[in-house]
Amino acid sequence: MIKIVNLLPELLGTYGDQGNVATLAWRLNQRGIDNQIVQASAREPIPTDGDFYLLGGGEDDAQVAAVEILRRDNSLEKALSRGAHLFAVCAGFQLLGNSFPASGNRIIEGLGILPIITETATPRSVGELLLDSTIGVGQLTGFENHGGQTRFIDKLQPLGIVKRGIGNHADEASDGAVTENIIATYMHGPALVRNPKLADFFLARKLGQLAELSESVDAVFTELHDSCVARAER
Amino acid sequence: MVAGRFILKFAPNAVEKLAANKRVVLISGTNGKSTTSKLIAEALRTKYSIAHNHTGANLFAGVAAALGANSDAQVAVLEVDELVLPWAIEKTKPELIVLLNLGRDQLDRLSEVRIVSNKWRNSLAGQTVLASTDDPFVVFAANAAQKRIWFSASEKGHIDAATCPECGKLLNWINDGANFNCECGFAKPDANWTLRGDVLNHQFKVNSSIPGAAALQNAARAFIVANEFGVDLEAANTAIGSVRAVDGRFANKKIGQTNFRLLLSKNPASWRETLKTSSSGPSDVLLIVNANTQDGKDTSWLWDVDFKVLQGRRVLVSGDRKVDVAARLTVDGISHEVVDNEIEASRIFGATNADIIASYTAFHRLANK
Repeated sequence: MIKIVNLLPELLGTYGDQGNVATLAWRLNQRGIDNQIVQASAREPIPTDGDFYLLGGGEDDAQVAAVEILRRDNSLEKALSRGAHLFAVCAGFQLLGNSFPASGNRIIEGLGILPIITETATPRSVGELLLDSTIGVGQLTGFENHGGQTRFIDKLQPLGIVKRGIGNHADEASDGAVTENIIATYMHGPALVRNPKLADFFLARKLGQLAELSESVDAVFTELHDSCVARAER
Repeated sequence: MVAGRFILKFAPNAVEKLAANKRVVLISGTNGKSTTSKLIAEALRTKYSIAHNHTGANLFAGVAAALGANSDAQVAVLEVDELVLPWAIEKTKPELIVLLNLGRDQLDRLSEVRIVSNKWRNSLAGQTVLASTDDPFVVFAANAAQKRIWFSASEKGHIDAATCPECGKLLNWINDGANFNCECGFAKPDANWTLRGDVLNHQFKVNSSIPGAAALQNAARAFIVANEFGVDLEAANTAIGSVRAVDGRFANKKIGQTNFRLLLSKNPASWRETLKTSSSGPSDVLLIVNANTQDGKDTSWLWDVDFKVLQGRRVLVSGDRKVDVAARLTVDGISHEVVDNEIEASRIFGATNADIIASYTAFHRLANK
């Protein structure tokens, strides 16, 4: 039984993030792979035996509350060290780094899992985001909406090269980060719905080669991906 | 609206002047602005002459135009966009401000719910508000007002309020979401007016001819405003109950052989409410979703709405973002068919009743056609 853990959905679920969770489960179901979704709420202990973990987007205060819970609990690090894989979006991406900004000119210490720093930037980065992936899954499409911009402070592979939009930082044409067991990005959308190849790439990193979904089963997601890419290119 | 822009451009103080001789009621919130304003306008019209932005034009020019169009009115009932409210308070010196609710909506434009709540709070010193106790963001803003008339519709929980608007710590939701408090002292206030079912304060049965629970809450708010303005309550209640459609919402429209009913949905909260209201309507339903500026340019919100309530209905999908909706329904296991437009939908539905649930620009295209 594959366990998908959605981390702190009431705090980091502002932006359709349940879509990433639901899509992973759907893609496993289509292949007949047993799975369960665990909604790991802020008031309960976070399971450490999950296979896939997801961190979504959230507002400032919620992001601060989330990082405090994750730091105290330490279960995300435990799960990652046991071989789990993590997909993190926007606020969830930022809080993996060394620090990120919050309302009232606060600088909040992150989990320090990724060598990144996020700082306040104006104007907000809002709009379609189009990437050429660095992981061999072609173009990636999403919608970004973030007040902070993110710099790498050590060597790190971005998820994609920005073709349209801002991504990590206005001064650099890259978005997100990829490590052995983490994929992070500024792409809402939700990203794993708009980019079925990225969803399968994420699943396959843990589960090994997956059977291809038939064209007809995957048609609506392929069409969604292509229509979003075409819109961003206009 | 051209008139409104003209007023603002050539007489920047005109809004103050036009409002100066009127008793002003402002209505703002994420959902229910147009309906509540219409109901309040009709309730107060039983006693006063009314200026009202009845077309839902709720930005600067719309407010100016409504005041200018009926400059002799005794009372102005003005719905105001959430971000325009601080400006409208400053310019119109309202007697009463009705604060409905705040929820995620057009995140590309409005950014965070908390930011809007803070802007409200900073503009409310010295004001009188009729505010919902059920919504922590409204309570946080309304706490800054001088006089607060608290209204509860006995709603439970709030999808965006996991943390306290006051201090940012986790908010305690207790009694199955019927109550909330925080260690910092922030808490749900006691209501002066409580709606249970269709009865206010165990005493007044509220009339509503508009379908849905949200409309009933808004009718109750209109009743309370009528009470504040010294209107005969029986006359007000009759006037409130006489409103059947607001600016095309729930209006009927025949396309081909199909009798469609038009329902507007703008954000996750209003989609949830509308899907619930529609589920007691006809079995056939067409969803139309666009993503223009007024709709919000991002469709991520589709995943914040549970579409499983559509199970068992005949569902068609169209609009600029029909593929986004189709993907959403596919994952929820809702069988559906994608069509080009409402004309093709009417060919499939045939001679029957059907609902159209449409996002903002799609709704207005149909309502005005």
